[in-house]
Amino acid sequence: MDRSSAPSILVVDDNDDNAEIVRALLEARGFPVLVAHDGDQAMALFESARPSLVLLDVLMPGRSGWEVCRLMRQHPEHGRSVRIIMLTALAEWNDKQSALQTGADDYITKPIDLADLELRVRRNLALVTPHA
Amino acid sequence: MTTTARAVLLTDSADTALADAAGILQLDVVLVRPASELPAAIDAHASARAVVVSTDDPSLLRAIVEHASARRIPVVLAGENDVAYRRAIEFRVDDWYLAPASAVEISWRIRSALARVAAQAFGYSHRVDRVEYEEMLYDPLTGMPTLPVMLERTRGLIKDRGEVIIHYLNFVRYSKIEEIYGWEKLDQVLETTAAAVHEFLESRSLGTTRMMVGFPNDDDFIFLQIPDKGQPVPTEAQITEAGRQLQLFVGNRLEEVHGEDVSSLFEIFIGSSHVYYTPKIRFERLIYRGVREAANAARSVEQRERVRRTATLKGVLHEGSVYIDFHPIVLAETGEIFGYEALARGVPRNLRSPEVMFEVAAEADLVWELSRLCRARALAGAKELLKGDQLLFLNVDPHDFADPGFGVLDSIDPRRIVLEITERTAIKDYPKFRERLRSFRERGFRFAVDDAGSGYAGLGSIANLEPDFIKLDISLINSIDTNFIKQNLVETMVGFATEQGAMVIAEGIERAEELDTVKRIGVPLVQGFLLHHPARAGAVAGAHAGRE
Repeated sequence: MDRSSAPSILVVDDNDDNAEIVRALLEARGFPVLVAHDGDQAMALFESARPSLVLLDVLMPGRSGWEVCRLMRQHPEHGRSVRIIMLTALAEWNDKQSALQTGADDYITKPIDLADLELRVRRNLALVTPHA
Repeated sequence: MTTTARAVLLTDSADTALADAAGILQLDVVLVRPASELPAAIDAHASARAVVVSTDDPSLLRAIVEHASARRIPVVLAGENDVAYRRAIEFRVDDWYLAPASAVEISWRIRSALARVAAQAFGYSHRVDRVEYEEMLYDPLTGMPTLPVMLERTRGLIKDRGEVIIHYLNFVRYSKIEEIYGWEKLDQVLETTAAAVHEFLESRSLGTTRMMVGFPNDDDFIFLQIPDKGQPVPTEAQITEAGRQLQLFVGNRLEEVHGEDVSSLFEIFIGSSHVYYTPKIRFERLIYRGVREAANAARSVEQRERVRRTATLKGVLHEGSVYIDFHPIVLAETGEIFGYEALARGVPRNLRSPEVMFEVAAEADLVWELSRLCRARALAGAKELLKGDQLLFLNVDPHDFADPGFGVLDSIDPRRIVLEITERTAIKDYPKFRERLRSFRERGFRFAVDDAGSGYAGLGSIANLEPDFIKLDISLINSIDTNFIKQNLVETMVGFATEQGAMVIAEGIERAEELDTVKRIGVPLVQGFLLHHPARAGAVAGAHAGRE
């Protein structure tokens, strides 16, 4: 994949190690990756870089992943088209329903299985309409 | 801190962790008041810094948020389950947490809420906050300016003219649309509504400056009408007439775009107030007072309409003027008709929607009578409609089982009937209810749980009813092809149903992609406009025969 045209991915996780592992994997696959460590930083990068996909940790100090997801979805230009995958240790029926309510498209349970992560990233990006 | 005023945390919760959280935040006093007294307490305590609420009463919560935001005091919701979390979004509280929580976590939530409100008040340096700020000024969905922006823009105009008419447009039952179809659908419906309202106002020349405002209450709008100089203000009758036309216009547009099921839920009530400018009273206060008056007027219009509709319903019951649409349920693989769901509709246009009709009946305590009439009609229609071993799916309210007249059917074999019980209705006494179901089951009736997965109850309570069919909530099917969480939930449900010996039905299939996805997941039965529209018995039978 041509690096310049590859869709960019925003990884949001307050845990540096987690974020770096995910970054390494995705960059090795040719995706440009941005990393944010909290919700405010994530919103700033979301606004400036307009990523095609966001990997969003649920449990963070300050704004929770749910809240960040909701804010992103409300973005007037970019909110509908972005794909959002929640990273969560919780994957009970009700947690998934909460994820739906905030507008998430997919979720990955922690601890992260890298093969699963790649699969989910690809299948979500496949649904992003390419911008002209 | 040098201030002598004692900083107060207001709450309706007796949670002792709140006192510790207040300590961490250096708030001096925690005042505990019943939730119903909080709005007044917010107004009364000038030194209130934050509000933590635990009430699950939506109207109280709304009032508390309104009072607090008028004074720029943050509201933090202490919820006990994920319903609270949805409420937090719906009512736009500033933050929320799952109770019980530690004092540290609570203090974090309050701190972040305080920061957010302070940022809103004192301007924005950070880009992130700007996004939120703009969101506050312009409704992201409808693109309409919100009230603070509008006040700035119109201040001069209103001073100049000396008066303004405030119209409050109360759109009811939009939350019902969200409940039934999910938030994606509601977003689309709100967009259509806003566009239609714009178009309607554009097309009319009233010799006035018209300003449309999105109101923070999601589904309501405010509209400021400032008559041009020399033009008379509109009369009460003109306003009423314009409201009627607007309702018609928007209703028709919704029907065009989203179909009759959605448009028949739609209603709009308009209240107006006349505000005269006076320099003695602060402009904002003047306008907000006018808005409140207009909102009250809209509510009383709603009350009158309720009374009128109850009268209409009594007429319907007296004359038996309901008809039944039958909506086919088909086998996903072959497209063969497996059964029909009976949908009762009132003949008068304002009772066309079954949801509305039963809502009115519930208010007037006429549910049993209406249910009986609808059932009798459905059974009569089904008699000629059902071929081979096709089934009739009948919607029933749990209360219907207590009706002594219920279940006495001589016209049709109970084994051909599936009783649909909605998961939305809270069933209080499960053991007793199951006992009732058992006697019906013994006579051959089968059961379906409707709206399963709508979030009202978990899988456990579905298992409790031992259903033969599980009908998935429409919100799970809408756009399922692009949402992997929905796919996962439906997969879980199919596995669960198989274990329980039940069959899953996916209703609300509108697009080929949705059909393909549920087929791939292994949902055996499907229903939706893509496959068939609901139709009267004669029409369905005719179409069916025509295909054979």
